[in-house]
Amino acid sequence: MIELVNVKKVFNAGNPSEFSALNSVNLRIAENQVTVLKGPSGSGKTTLLSIVGCMSRPSAGRVKLQGREITSLPERFLTDIRRKTFGFIFQQPNLIKGISVLDNVMLPAYPLGEKRSHLKIKAMNGLSELNIANKAASKVEWLSGGEAQRASIVRALINDPHIIIADEPTAHLDTKLSYRFMEIIEKFKAEGKTVIITSHDPLVYESSMVDRVVNLRDGQIEG
Amino acid sequence: MRNWIEKQRYIIDFTISSLLRRKVKNFGLLALYTLIVFILASTMFFTYAIKKEASLILKGAPEIVVQKIVAGRHDLFPASYIETIKSIRGVASVESRLWGYYYDSLVSANYTLLTPPSSDAAKPSAKTTVVESESGGQSARPLYELNGAVLEPGTLIIGNGVARLRNIGKDDYMPFRAFDGKVMNFRIAGVLSSQSELVSSDLMLITGEDFRKLFGIDQSHVTDLTVAVNNPSEVEMVASKIKKHLPDARPIIRDEILRTYDSIFNWRGGMMIVIFSAAVLAFVIFAWDKASGLSAGERREIGILKAVGWETSDVIQMKFWEGAVVSLTAFFSGVILAYVHVFFTGSIVFEPALKGWSSLYPNFELTPFVNLEQLTTLFFLTVVPYTVATIVPIWRAATIDPDSAMRFTGE
Amino acid sequence: MRNSSLFFLYLSTGVFFLGLLLMHASFSAKAQQESLEEKSALVKALQLTDLCLFTEARYTRHLSQADLNTAFQDHPLSLEHFPSGSFTQPPERIIDRP
Repeated sequence: MIELVNVKKVFNAGNPSEFSALNSVNLRIAENQVTVLKGPSGSGKTTLLSIVGCMSRPSAGRVKLQGREITSLPERFLTDIRRKTFGFIFQQPNLIKGISVLDNVMLPAYPLGEKRSHLKIKAMNGLSELNIANKAASKVEWLSGGEAQRASIVRALINDPHIIIADEPTAHLDTKLSYRFMEIIEKFKAEGKTVIITSHDPLVYESSMVDRVVNLRDGQIEG
Repeated sequence: MRNWIEKQRYIIDFTISSLLRRKVKNFGLLALYTLIVFILASTMFFTYAIKKEASLILKGAPEIVVQKIVAGRHDLFPASYIETIKSIRGVASVESRLWGYYYDSLVSANYTLLTPPSSDAAKPSAKTTVVESESGGQSARPLYELNGAVLEPGTLIIGNGVARLRNIGKDDYMPFRAFDGKVMNFRIAGVLSSQSELVSSDLMLITGEDFRKLFGIDQSHVTDLTVAVNNPSEVEMVASKIKKHLPDARPIIRDEILRTYDSIFNWRGGMMIVIFSAAVLAFVIFAWDKASGLSAGERREIGILKAVGWETSDVIQMKFWEGAVVSLTAFFSGVILAYVHVFFTGSIVFEPALKGWSSLYPNFELTPFVNLEQLTTLFFLTVVPYTVATIVPIWRAATIDPDSAMRFTGE
Repeated sequence: MRNSSLFFLYLSTGVFFLGLLLMHASFSAKAQQESLEEKSALVKALQLTDLCLFTEARYTRHLSQADLNTAFQDHPLSLEHFPSGSFTQPPERIIDRP
């Protein structure tokens, strides 16, 4: 369970361009559920998501992961938690060009120093589950949009995280691919994973598998 | 530990594939870097080898050479001075030398004409120097020993460089124009071995009598003197005594000769400073290019890596390996190429500069004096600074937030 | 093959060749002992003072015997017109005893 207490995030503090992206957000995200953060662009969805995912620190307030306060942990520990707990799916596939799909998928596991043969099997399994095993050796430049996203999903799963975080996952997908994506999300849910998605796509937040929709506006939770 | 090794291997895998992504740029860089290492290593190998060889060979040089100076120039040495020097305490023996230069306008080369010391004839046992016979070919077994008997009036023993340049050999004749315009013909009695070219390439051994006839020097003068001293620790003292007794004489002690060759090819020399400053300049350009920051692409990539769970320290390790891979590759290729260049090809790259304007250039094979210390110096001169220069800008990477990956829009 | 394996292969080849060259160096230093001895014997026998490296001018041919007034010895950095002059330095005594 993730708990946010009074979380604030201010950018460019002290500058004339200062603005607060989040204002006193209190939120509890339950485990094994699909939670959607919904709101117009600029409402602080992505900022909230990056704080939940331990990618950035709040300017004020506390974040607790399974009852453990993580806001004040040094970077090393935070990275370690992030690596093991969260899998990230970005708006863009954010694959690294010039290296193969397989290498991209294995990238998050590199700092852990797992045996390569094991890691490779894990990555290949992940790729075949999403039907792109045949692209494993291709360079990422040669992938279609849908394939690239599936590759990035496999990458998010490589360290077997129990929380999946997706930022506007369907923004660059057509309807058919968006449905496919939601099917994949359903599978995660069935596997007992916690899923947090930001989206303003009705196809996502109106989906039947979504357990909770949180509305954000101007850095605050509505309702 | 296993995990640590595997992790480093993963990072190296990734680093190399990112280097390979920008093939043209990185191979260009590698080639340039290899070239710099090559030039530095070649210079180092060459100068060290020649200094070491000089110090070994010139150990046998005269303990003291005494010249006479008139108005700041060398002058012929009056034979009457010999007795004065002989009377100085501590002097074991004094020998006069006759030597000088002859300009051969046919091939525009300078030869060194030298009369072998007279004592040679008296002490045949000391002679180990060999002469090759032309008829037996270059690699022939030495036929006879060099001694005074072979060098009769009217003959010459020439250095291998002269033989090569003039394309002459044993029993050929060589005309000289004497001081008074008369032409003197000398028969070549032998050729000094090609092995000794580093000291003998341009030599022409001639009898004292012929030397005096050729240059018009009377019996009362010689070129200079060599002085042997009883006790080696007294060399300095004897030299200053000579100076005191004969104020117009200039003693040069062996130590000075050795030190002269120890400072040859010193980095402060003109050509050397050009080479070194070119290398340093190129290096600074590299380092500046690196330190001036990360390209947008690199920032983005580091953002992604951090977002997927790499720590700042992992990114720094990646950069470390990037520097290490490039510089180690350049180091090994450069050093190996330099060794081949200096000791197998006779420094062909340096040859034009070394030859300068001289038309007579010795063909010598350097003895490869290479030690680990040189290699270590080279390593610290090249690999370490480059690797450091690669890591330095990474503090910027630390400022890239992992969530920056979430904010990229559009590829 | 993995990139890192290729890299380590290259490194070990490099180290191997360097080792080989060092061995070559020490072997040929031994092998050339004879030629070194010949040269130093010649130096002793003929009372030579210098290496025959540059034959352009008397002060480059006999570096250690050069007089104090030749152009190149004016300054250690002078780029005079003989290239070899820039490889060499004035005799030690000129620097030592001004």
